[in-house]
Amino acid sequence: MSNNNNREVIVSVKHVDISFDTGGKKKFKAVKDANFDIYKGETFALVGESGSGKTTLGRAIMRINPCSAGEITFEGKRISGNISKEEDRNVVRNIQMIFQDPAASLNERATIEYCVSEGLLNFHLYKDENDRLAKVDKALQDVGLLPEHKSRYPHEFSGGQRQRVGIARAMIMEPKFIVADEPISALDVSIRAQVLNLMNKLKAEKDLTYLFIAHDLSVVRFIADRIAVIHLGEIVEIAESETLFEYPLHPYTTALLSTVPMPDPLIEKNRKHKVYDPSELDQSGDPREMREVRPGHFVYCTPKEFDGYCEKAARLEKEKGAN
Amino acid sequence: MDMENTNLFEFAEFDELESEHIAAPRYSYWKSVWRTFFKNKFTVAVAVLLLCIIAFAMIQPMLSGYSPIKTPNINNSHLKFLKPSAEHIFGTDHVGNEVFDAVWAGARNSIIVSFICTAINMLIGIPIGALWGFSKKMDRWMIEVYNVISNVPFLLLAMILSYVLGAGMRSLIITMTCTEWIFVAYFIRTQVMIIRDREYNLASKCLGTSTWTMIVKNILPYLISVIMTYVSREVPSLISYEVFLSYMGLGLGTTNASLGQSIAMYTSYMNGYPHLFWIPVSVLAIISISLYIVGQRLADAADPRTHM
Repeated sequence: MSNNNNREVIVSVKHVDISFDTGGKKKFKAVKDANFDIYKGETFALVGESGSGKTTLGRAIMRINPCSAGEITFEGKRISGNISKEEDRNVVRNIQMIFQDPAASLNERATIEYCVSEGLLNFHLYKDENDRLAKVDKALQDVGLLPEHKSRYPHEFSGGQRQRVGIARAMIMEPKFIVADEPISALDVSIRAQVLNLMNKLKAEKDLTYLFIAHDLSVVRFIADRIAVIHLGEIVEIAESETLFEYPLHPYTTALLSTVPMPDPLIEKNRKHKVYDPSELDQSGDPREMREVRPGHFVYCTPKEFDGYCEKAARLEKEKGAN
Repeated sequence: MDMENTNLFEFAEFDELESEHIAAPRYSYWKSVWRTFFKNKFTVAVAVLLLCIIAFAMIQPMLSGYSPIKTPNINNSHLKFLKPSAEHIFGTDHVGNEVFDAVWAGARNSIIVSFICTAINMLIGIPIGALWGFSKKMDRWMIEVYNVISNVPFLLLAMILSYVLGAGMRSLIITMTCTEWIFVAYFIRTQVMIIRDREYNLASKCLGTSTWTMIVKNILPYLISVIMTYVSREVPSLISYEVFLSYMGLGLGTTNASLGQSIAMYTSYMNGYPHLFWIPVSVLAIISISLYIVGQRLADAADPRTHM
C-alpha cells in the first residue's frame, strides 16, 4: 500500500454539491458532498451507473457546471466559483477534456487542422504559421494519425479516428490534467483497446494525470490506479483499484462488482447477482462522511456502519489470507 | 497438409499507418455546393432565366430612358391602349408609353430595393441574432424589445415614415429595414439556440474559444443552409412589400418607376385593357418565383447532407 500522504495532490474536490434548477423552488441535487483528492501522475476513475452524477462532477472540474457548495482546487488554487479571467485561462490551458461521443464533439464544418489547433489559436501558443502546422502534425502523429489528415473533415473519419482527433486536440495544449468522460463507451469494442493504450502511452510520455469517468468496470480495472464509486450523486467508496475489487466494502460496490459478467457460461449461469438494498445501511440518521477503513480505502458511512465495514474488511482479509 | 510447403508463404509487411489513410477524394464544401446545385437541369434553367431577367432589368431602362413623368405621346390618341404586337411588345398604356419600358424600369427599381433591403436586414440581423441566441443575459431584454417592435403594425409604421421622410428610394429602404431586421435576428436566435449546447461547442469552450469565434466558426457554418432559405423567401417577399407599398402610394413615389407603381396605375384599366394589369403582375410573379426556386435550390445545395 503506497503512502498517499507524501504524494502531490493535483486536483482536490472538497464537499462539493452540484444542483440544477428544475424550474420551481426545488433544486435537483446531482452531486452531494463529493470529497476526493487526485494525486499527480495517477489515473483516478469515477464509476457509477447512468445518472449517478459522474459526468456532472467531471464537468464541474472543467468549470462547465457551477458548484452550489464546496470547492474544487487545482494545484492548490481554487477553480470553482468566480475566479479571475487570468486564472480561468490558466485552468483551460492545464485541464483538458476528452469527450464521450466522438461523433458529436467535433465541429463538422471545420477541417481537422482547425479542430486540432483551436486551442493553439486561442492562446497563441505558436511562433508562426509553420510552427502551428508543425505542432498539429506532431499532435496527429502522436495519436497515430497522418499529417495529410489536416485538410480532411471529421465526417470522413471512423469513430476511433475521431476520438483520436479529440485526444490530439486536448494533448496539443500540453495540459497537466485530463478529464476523460467515458472516452471509449461510444467506440466499437475492437478499437477500445487501441484508444486505451494510446491514452496510457501519452500519460507516460507527457506525465499526465487522468480523471477517467466510466461505467465499464473491466475497463476501469485495466486503466485506473484508484477508483471512486459514485451512486445517486454520493461517492460511496474510494480505494486503489485492486483493493476495491478484492475487498469491496460498501454494499453498493459489492452489488456493482457482482454485475461484471464472467466469460464462462457455467459460472455465469449459476452465479447469484447481488441487488443493492439501501435498507442494509444504518438508518439512524447519523451524518455520513468519508472514513478511512483500511489505509487508503475510504467508505462514505456513519460511525455505526464504519464499525461494520472494519469487521467486514478484517473478515475478507482473513479469507484471502486463508486461500 | 504438407508442412514443407510452409516456405511458400511469407509474412506480409503490415504498416499500421497505411490503414489510417483515407482513400476518398478530398472534400471541399463550396465545390460540393456548386456541384450539387448544377447537377439539376431545371435549377440551372431557372437560374439562367433569373440572371437574364435581372440583367435585362438593369440594362433595358438605361436604353429606354423611361420615366413615369415623361409622357411624349400623351396627345397622340393613335398610340394609346395599343394591344401587344411586334412593334409594341407589351402594348402601350393610357398615356401612350411603352408598357415594355415601364415594366422593366419598374422591375429594376423593385429588384434593387429588395436586394438592398435584404442585404441590410441580414447584415444587421445575423450578428445580433447570433449573439442573442448565445447570451442568456441578452435574451432576457432582447425578447422584450422583440415583443414591442414585432407588435408595431407594419402599415402604420410605413405610413408614418413615408410622411416624415417623404417618398423615395431612401425612405422606402428605411421603412423596409427599420423593423424587419429584428425578425431575421429572432429567426437566427432560435437556430443558434438549437445548436448552441451541442457537445462540440462545449469542447470549444473547454479549449478557451471566445463567444464570437464560436459564432463564426462553430455556429454560422451550420446555418448557411437555413440562412439561404430565409434569404430566398426574404427577397421575393420584400419585392411584394415594395409593390404593396407603392400600390398604396407609400413607396417610391409617382416620379419613380416600380412594379407596384405600374400595377397601381394600370389597375383602373383592368376591364377594358386587361393586358395592362396582367403583364406587370406576371413579370412580378416570374421574378419572385424564380428567385424563390433558385434560393431554395441553393439552400438545399448548401446542406452537406445532400453532398453524398
